[in-house]
Amino acid sequence: MPDFDLIVIGAGPGGYVAAERAGAAGLKVALIEREEHLGGVCLNWGCVPTKTLLASSKTYYTATHGEAYGVTAEGVKFHLDKAMARKKQVQDGLRTGIKGLMKKFKVEVIRGSATLTAKDTVQVGDRTITAKNILIATGSRPAKPPIPGIDLKHVVDSTGILDVSVLPKQLAIVGGGVIGLEFACFFAQVGVQVHVIEFLAEIAPSIDAEVAKTLRGELETKGVKFHLGHKVLKIEADAVVAQGTAPGAAEARIPADLVLVCTGRVPNSEGLGLEKLGIEVRRGAIAIDEQCRTNVPGIYAIGDVNAKSMLAHTASRQGEVAVNTILGQTDRMRYRAIPGVIYTSPEVAAVGLTEAQAAADGIPVEVVKWPFAANGRFLAEYSGKGFLKAVLHKQTHALLGVHAVGGPVSEMSFGWAAMIEAEFTVKEIKELVFPHPTVNEALRDAVFTMH
Amino acid sequence: MASVVLLPKQGNSVESCIIKAWLKKAGDTVKEGDGLCEVETDKATVEVPAPASGVLLAIFRPEGDDVPVQTSIAAIGNAGEDVSSLAPASTSGEGRGERSGDSAAGAAVSAPVAAVPVAAVATASDAGSSPRARALATERGVDVNALAGTGPNGLVVEADVRNAPALTPAAKATAGTGTVGTGIGGRVTAADRTAAAPAAESRPLTPLPSPASVPGSVTENPVKGIRKIIAERMRQSLTSSAQLTLHATAKAATLQAWRAKAKDKAELLGLPAVTVNDLVLFAVARTLAKHPALNAYWQGDKIVQHGSVHLGMAVDTERGLLVPVVRDCHAKTLAQISTDARALAKAAQAGKAGPDQLSGSTFSVTNVGALGIEYFTPVLNTPEVAILGVGAIGLKPYEGKNGVEFIPSMHLSLTIDHQALDGAPAARFLQALIQAIENIDVLLAA
Repeated sequence: MPDFDLIVIGAGPGGYVAAERAGAAGLKVALIEREEHLGGVCLNWGCVPTKTLLASSKTYYTATHGEAYGVTAEGVKFHLDKAMARKKQVQDGLRTGIKGLMKKFKVEVIRGSATLTAKDTVQVGDRTITAKNILIATGSRPAKPPIPGIDLKHVVDSTGILDVSVLPKQLAIVGGGVIGLEFACFFAQVGVQVHVIEFLAEIAPSIDAEVAKTLRGELETKGVKFHLGHKVLKIEADAVVAQGTAPGAAEARIPADLVLVCTGRVPNSEGLGLEKLGIEVRRGAIAIDEQCRTNVPGIYAIGDVNAKSMLAHTASRQGEVAVNTILGQTDRMRYRAIPGVIYTSPEVAAVGLTEAQAAADGIPVEVVKWPFAANGRFLAEYSGKGFLKAVLHKQTHALLGVHAVGGPVSEMSFGWAAMIEAEFTVKEIKELVFPHPTVNEALRDAVFTMH
Repeated sequence: MASVVLLPKQGNSVESCIIKAWLKKAGDTVKEGDGLCEVETDKATVEVPAPASGVLLAIFRPEGDDVPVQTSIAAIGNAGEDVSSLAPASTSGEGRGERSGDSAAGAAVSAPVAAVPVAAVATASDAGSSPRARALATERGVDVNALAGTGPNGLVVEADVRNAPALTPAAKATAGTGTVGTGIGGRVTAADRTAAAPAAESRPLTPLPSPASVPGSVTENPVKGIRKIIAERMRQSLTSSAQLTLHATAKAATLQAWRAKAKDKAELLGLPAVTVNDLVLFAVARTLAKHPALNAYWQGDKIVQHGSVHLGMAVDTERGLLVPVVRDCHAKTLAQISTDARALAKAAQAGKAGPDQLSGSTFSVTNVGALGIEYFTPVLNTPEVAILGVGAIGLKPYEGKNGVEFIPSMHLSLTIDHQALDGAPAARFLQALIQAIENIDVLLAA
């Protein structure tokens, strides 16, 4: 008789949610975590702390940029220490919440690093436990590119930067992806000169090109300087040296007293004993099927460690699919309607296919667009540029993708995801009632441009 | 003029049969009435006779095919006749597993979806659909034209619609016939309609070498035919009912004495050789008439009591467990029950029992006494609410006037569906049955 029905390795948004669901279904669950707090990168060094810091930064920016709204204030100051303290307060509240959930569903939390020693056996420290099913949810860590000077003291990754105690004067960010852009926004809004160095020709390569360009323009108005098409050659004590990738481009020397390197994340698939069990790993990521099963029966892998879509909410859903599969219920993972958000100001949200992906896949599409300059709520409340774009199947008129930049679009994306999952067509969307005035209406207005 | 051979109807409830074996091959000369092929329904194997004499010109459906009744399976005529016009439009699979031709280029997701009006592409079911099926399809968002019908001649019936997953709005607007739903809540998506397989990155995981956990050779037997039906029925029975089994003993001395005498004199009087099981069937039939609550079907929202007693009789055959039905036992004499039971058991064992002989029981009796079993827990033949298990007759001690006596006793196990009926009325039935068995000589006079 095994000790548990399910052992979950890693207590991030994939692992703890899986443990919670399994516990709620009556399974006997163990949850193993090597770090001090439950919640994984998401709660401790990712989603949650960055959002609390961004909120502080946004509040400061609003307070100092209220003239157009008829508000001026003097003596407004940004206190990094107090912002950090609020971050910790928010984190502590959520950490207590997760602990409470584990207790409620009788999940046994075990501290330590786990190694699989057999297909049903896990070693944690000097404890050996067995289970019918094992769920690997070990997440990912920041990639460390081989750049000369990366080990200098003023070079940090997305974890290290959360511990800075003094604002830098000049911040150089290597990598113009989601993480880099959010930190760029945070620091720029509190008055730091920010440089973003991106190897490719545009920031945030996976999102719609027009959305990316608009976001870049909005961040530029906040003072962020972008160095696109630049390869970082080395990091020096007071600057980052980069070379333009265009033929004949010059070498650029970007002054910086703090350098943030965020060039992607790598799955934590080492040291778990995967090779010994014959668990298939492809380019560092554990290979899974639609039920998040690995090639070894009884062993599942969810979240960043399978690198399918390195997002907290993907991990949570994958955890649920795995648990449902363990419970004998029919479920499968679908990736075509997973919202992706950049929590900059303005926000970016995207669900589903972009025009470029549709073209690459040979799917015939029609694209409709609605500028936020024609949206009542947006004009009343927000500033800057923004728009929403809907990608529709040319023949069926099914909604395949929605991409938007501007104002509060992150909170709208679940609705788009629901419509994409249900394969709503223009006809059904036209039958929905949207609240007025909201920025949401942009989708309705966009599809009504199709007759 | 060549004529088609239609798969004959096999009773009222059989919608399709599997062609088990062709007894003749194309080119053979056949006489009217010759067996052409053997087909297997869910309960029996039946021979399909040649409807006319001539040359078997063509066989349209191969062995192993599941063929709807009243579908053409072969053609008979004069040598050399052209039978191409007699062949069914689709000669295998009847829409199942077939894909529309224009997605054959692979990469089904990326293939542009032809802008064909939905009505024009509906070809999966040639036989149409019933009005009830169409009404339900409209209500549930199911494409009735894409379904493979299980009704007569491939007609799409209400149950087919009920079992089909709903289509998303985009899937409704997409030409294609796929019905495997990979969308949210199992809905059929636009890609499902046209794709041969789900769109996602489809490189399969590398399976581990199968561990030799059980040393020695193994034999694999695919689960099909009767075995598969029994598996489904038994699992369905145990998951859909609340089964409770009561055990009791009936003194069997009178029954045994009566039977010995009857056996001895049967030939003399021109009567069938009555078995112990015949006597039990007779006693059950008479007792059930007074306990209609046990002669009933559980149907979820209602309990249907039957006015007639049709006794299912479990028979062990080479092909598996079959339950032929002795009809109208409430009105039959012991001799009639005995004659019928013997004929049915023989037909079942020979694989010749027809579908109508294997369905429609209202109460079942299963007897494993000959194998020395005393008590067991029979599994309900749902939707019936009760089944009687008859065990071996053995000596049991009773306290009599002269001390302990050993009396032959019959072990009885009654399983009921506690959803439909409680333990007390079931126990009262069992008591009444015991009285009937213990006083079988009196009962026979009634």
